[in-house]
Amino acid sequence: MEMIIAGLLDSVSPASLMFVLLGVTIGVMIGAIPGINGPMAIALFIPVTYYMSPLTAIGFLVGLNKGAFFGGAVSAVLLRTPGTPEAAATSWDGYALTQQGKGEKALRMALYSSVAGDFISTMVLILIAAPLAAVALFMGPPEIFALISLALTVIAGIGTNSISRGLIAAGFGILIGLIGTEPVTALPRLTFDVYQLESGLSLIPVAIGLLAFSEILIQLEKFTKKGGAEHSANVFSTRREDRFLSIKEFLSNTKTLLRGSLIGIGVGAMPGLGAPVASFMSYDQAMKRSKHKEEFGKGRLEGIGASESANSAVVGASLIPLFVLGIPGNLAVAMLMGAFMIHGMQPGPLLFKENAQLMYGIYGSLVLASLFLLLIGRFGLRLFCKAVDIPAMILYPIVIFTCVMGAYLGQSSIFDVGVMLTFGFIGYFMRKFDFSYVALLIGFILAPEWERALQQVVIISQYDTYMFFQRPVAMILMALTLFVVARTFWNNIKAGRKRRATAAAAAAAGQHKSD
Amino acid sequence: MTKIQRDVIAYLVIVTFCIVMLVWAIPAYTPAYPGYGASAALVPNVAVGVMLFMACLALITTGIAKYRKKPMAASETTFPDDANESGFTQVGRINLSHLFGIMLPSLLFIIAIEYVSYLISAFVYLMILQFVIGSRRWLQSVVVAVSLTAVLYVVMRYGFGVPVPGPQLF
Repeated sequence: MEMIIAGLLDSVSPASLMFVLLGVTIGVMIGAIPGINGPMAIALFIPVTYYMSPLTAIGFLVGLNKGAFFGGAVSAVLLRTPGTPEAAATSWDGYALTQQGKGEKALRMALYSSVAGDFISTMVLILIAAPLAAVALFMGPPEIFALISLALTVIAGIGTNSISRGLIAAGFGILIGLIGTEPVTALPRLTFDVYQLESGLSLIPVAIGLLAFSEILIQLEKFTKKGGAEHSANVFSTRREDRFLSIKEFLSNTKTLLRGSLIGIGVGAMPGLGAPVASFMSYDQAMKRSKHKEEFGKGRLEGIGASESANSAVVGASLIPLFVLGIPGNLAVAMLMGAFMIHGMQPGPLLFKENAQLMYGIYGSLVLASLFLLLIGRFGLRLFCKAVDIPAMILYPIVIFTCVMGAYLGQSSIFDVGVMLTFGFIGYFMRKFDFSYVALLIGFILAPEWERALQQVVIISQYDTYMFFQRPVAMILMALTLFVVARTFWNNIKAGRKRRATAAAAAAAGQHKSD
Repeated sequence: MTKIQRDVIAYLVIVTFCIVMLVWAIPAYTPAYPGYGASAALVPNVAVGVMLFMACLALITTGIAKYRKKPMAASETTFPDDANESGFTQVGRINLSHLFGIMLPSLLFIIAIEYVSYLISAFVYLMILQFVIGSRRWLQSVVVAVSLTAVLYVVMRYGFGVPVPGPQLF
């Protein structure tokens, strides 16, 4: 109990409060800019957190992530250009309302739904993470090895259209994650006699390169092709009923918000799925269960509520696998895991045992971030709407330069800037060739832990490969891994057949027409 | 070049990379087995092995489909039209001139920074970046370049106490 109180008191210290507030504010502004999303913002700001205490750093990044989730809705509603992929479903009804002059009302609905979904999932996280972590403590190296294998397979399989590409990306991530000093012999491995590589590749330049720099390279391509930024459709009515959301209007969507939050929690707790899946699932469910199906997509508040409550609920829930098992389920959480590691902590069940006070402090910061999001969104809505109008000519050089100097800031090393550019280049081609950079990054982060677990299994079992068969949980997890691979392959084959059948039918129809 | 042809080239590059890693890089740059635990080469070999297997599998599947002359879906034989690109799919043509237009100044910047100082190289880099992006408003470009260079300098030197890269002008 003392730990809980001390942790919560830490979270309301002036420094912690200030950085959570700052994180949420910057997050909303950044999320509102089309093309910049939460994980990208976290990657750009992780170097800054080097100079903060662990609680302040995690609070700041969590605030940033929560803010960016809502920020994505701003450009989705005003421009029909979702700032983040998960806000795509929000744009369908949000933009329709903007065209009717009700943009502010749509944004308020998005804000309140976001806060509701986020708050509910934070509460679920607080209630179940610690008890589940206590159970997870009974897991040994075979279970951890099997679990990481399963997580990597799921992320590789679900994150891409093709499991072979996903596994290639995950394999490459593991390979580069192993560069550095080998843990058993303490000798350099795969360093190619480059002394800067002996401590391994740092997460910051790799993440900035893959997430931010490569994304900007692609966006710039589209931007220069179009010849300029799209004009903002920032339309606000002066009529009170078009601007504000009544309590009655909000409460009439309670069921949708609850359902959306539950979907978000379920999806968020599973590795690999992510907020866009939750958002689309929730929207689909809301539409199917609504009495006014025909109004969806034409400016229905329920649609915004369904999408926003679900995608925001993913934020808190996605921390469950991280806190309980030490497995990042999506990119934003992978970045947060990196932040934990930078501050000398290994996410997983031991966190609650070794850093209990910090964990309760983080819980406090999570709740405060939800509260700040409500306040900042409520009073700064019009200001954040201006973020969508920042000219791209000014924005892109700023982001590129921040990538370059952010990579340098981590370890004051120009070598890291080179690493960032290299991974920017690799990330560009991965995106173009549809390889999953998410699988690469999560493979990179989990590789050392995966190898450590394997080493422990080999040493404990004394080279007895049947050890897995003596551990039922590990066996189930390995069986699940094989099932996921087989299932995803089968789905890929079925999808390919369907595509080809459609193509054949189209070709036959064309032939028939020409005859 | 069709999407399939380009994918085949990508898989061939991956296969070559994996073979080079398995035959040369991993044996040459991995510590010898110490006599206990798993070999230091085990996990790298497994990772590269998975990559190689998957790339070969993809090549074989594509080859079989081609050999049997199965009809291909439009999405497999052509590139998505950029104008109609939906969602967040970014698969598309590679614009090498655009790519090197950004990468080359960035590489030159990290080389120049060690010799001509952060302040000068950052200013020139930002001016070049804005030009490559398409900005032709010189005053705006100078303002952005000067203010961004100065802000980052102040943040690094006085905010975080990080050594500013390259020779110090003042």
